[in-house]
Amino acid sequence: MSGSDPGKLISKADNLTTLSLTRWSADWESATRLYEQAANGFRVSKDYEKAKLAFEKASKGREMLSSPWDAAKSMESAAALAKELRNWTEVIDFYRKASELYMQCDRPQFASDSLAKAARAVEDALPSDAIKLYSDACVLLEDDRKEQMALDLYHAVTNIYVKLEKYTDAVAFLLKLGLAADKCNATNSQCKAYLSAVIVYLYAHDLKQAEKCYNDCSQIDAFLRSDQNRFAGKLLSAYKEGDVEEIKRVAQSRSITNLDSVIIKLARKLPTGDVAAFKTNAAIGEEEALDENDLK
Amino acid sequence: MTVIDILFRVDEICKKYDKYDPEKQREANAFLDDAFARLYSLVEADIEKALAVRFLFSYPFLLLFSFQTLIFQINYWNKMQKSDKVSTEKNRAAAVALSAEIRRIKARLMEEVPKLQKLAKKKVKGLSKEDHETRFDMVLALPDRIKAIPDGSTAASNQSGGWGTSSSNKKIKFDSSEERFGSDFYQQTEESDQFRQEYEMRKMKQDEGLDVISEGLDTLKNIALDMNEEIDRQVPLMDEIETKVDKTTSDIRKNNVRLKKTITQIRSSRNFCIDIILLCIILGIAFYLYNALK
Repeated sequence: MSGSDPGKLISKADNLTTLSLTRWSADWESATRLYEQAANGFRVSKDYEKAKLAFEKASKGREMLSSPWDAAKSMESAAALAKELRNWTEVIDFYRKASELYMQCDRPQFASDSLAKAARAVEDALPSDAIKLYSDACVLLEDDRKEQMALDLYHAVTNIYVKLEKYTDAVAFLLKLGLAADKCNATNSQCKAYLSAVIVYLYAHDLKQAEKCYNDCSQIDAFLRSDQNRFAGKLLSAYKEGDVEEIKRVAQSRSITNLDSVIIKLARKLPTGDVAAFKTNAAIGEEEALDENDLK
Repeated sequence: MTVIDILFRVDEICKKYDKYDPEKQREANAFLDDAFARLYSLVEADIEKALAVRFLFSYPFLLLFSFQTLIFQINYWNKMQKSDKVSTEKNRAAAVALSAEIRRIKARLMEEVPKLQKLAKKKVKGLSKEDHETRFDMVLALPDRIKAIPDGSTAASNQSGGWGTSSSNKKIKFDSSEERFGSDFYQQTEESDQFRQEYEMRKMKQDEGLDVISEGLDTLKNIALDMNEEIDRQVPLMDEIETKVDKTTSDIRKNNVRLKKTITQIRSSRNFCIDIILLCIILGIAFYLYNALK
């Protein structure tokens, strides 16, 4: 029936599903088949709106036939078409529905996958929603003890936060990344995460927080023994001395290029603000100590 | 036999028959009354012997001749022609033994010196005052002569320069004698300047090269670690795929078996005969109809 008009197929399928005096039970099977055919037809003819509707109905049909897997797949197709139409709320709704259906099939990986797709689709338009979607996806994976897959998602969240200039939140997620990496023994990712956290703090021009973060992370053996640790130490000491040239030189080194692209951009822009201020603060601190001793 | 061999042979023979030599006996007897003179002559003889032995060090084959029989010496000659190195080893061992011997002799002689001194002070009849004093001087000179006998490996350095430094020189000097280093010593010549510059340049180039290598290695390390993590990530997925594929293969096998059974049933001979009979009947009917219509 590929030759026939998808519209006709849709109407036919609708007839099959609507209950009336002549029809006592809906014939979901044939209806679903027709819906799918119609949807494909519409997609080929680039009528995304109708195709999306058709996919929605097909998914409902599959659900009625109690095959959530196929239902979820149809939902995903519908969501992809909604993305083409740039209808973000619908995108989010469809992907969420799809992920729920995947969870019904007991496939959390696919569920989180669809949430991640949703987040990726809307991250430019609705970043906060994207963040929410990413976090839900990470939660799903962690429940399934597949933290390794979550590492990419954490990176994506961090990037969004950095774009929104919410640096503390970004650092929080980087530390969560470190934790997830620790659980699956991905030491390289862990150390890179901690180094990125320090850099983000320095970019936000918060030396104290950066130092605190560095001290916290140094408690972890894997980080302590790594190249990233040495590099972070060098960077912090350059900051404390207020030596701009030194900071620039340290930031150009190899360890930075191994990190995420967004973090590299931040590092290249270091130092932000007045580094000399840190130097004078440190000097004042020492002088005060001397005074206290004199008083004693 | 070389001349030196002959000389030593002669010496040995003379020594053997010394007791028949009237002159030497007279000399020996002359000292009988004089204890000092006797002791002194003994000490002198020992010193001479030690020096002679030292002298022998410089000629390895002489060394061997003085300690072994002629036959062994011939054997040694043969051996030496075969491997010089081995002979030097033997000589060294022998030389070490000899120097130890000499040191013992020296120590013994040093012990004798105080005795000689006492004897020299004693008055001996039939000896002039000048003789007495000369005796005293000779005794005083003895310790120096004894010490002068070299017992280190200095003589052996003639044989092979590799033995080198004398063990008796125990002083280590820094910045010794200024007059050896003139003002020209520290002056950089053009050549040395150039050399130094070239050396610096090469060092810099090497440093640059090493920097490049280290950067490359850093990148490689990072790539390798990331690959490691990625593979770790893939492992559980592969396990899942494996179980699923295993299940699928077993399903397919089951289905194949059932299909095979069904097909054999369809193609079984009973059904086949029935098919042929029915076919014949149909052909018969068709033939009959054809005939009827014609």
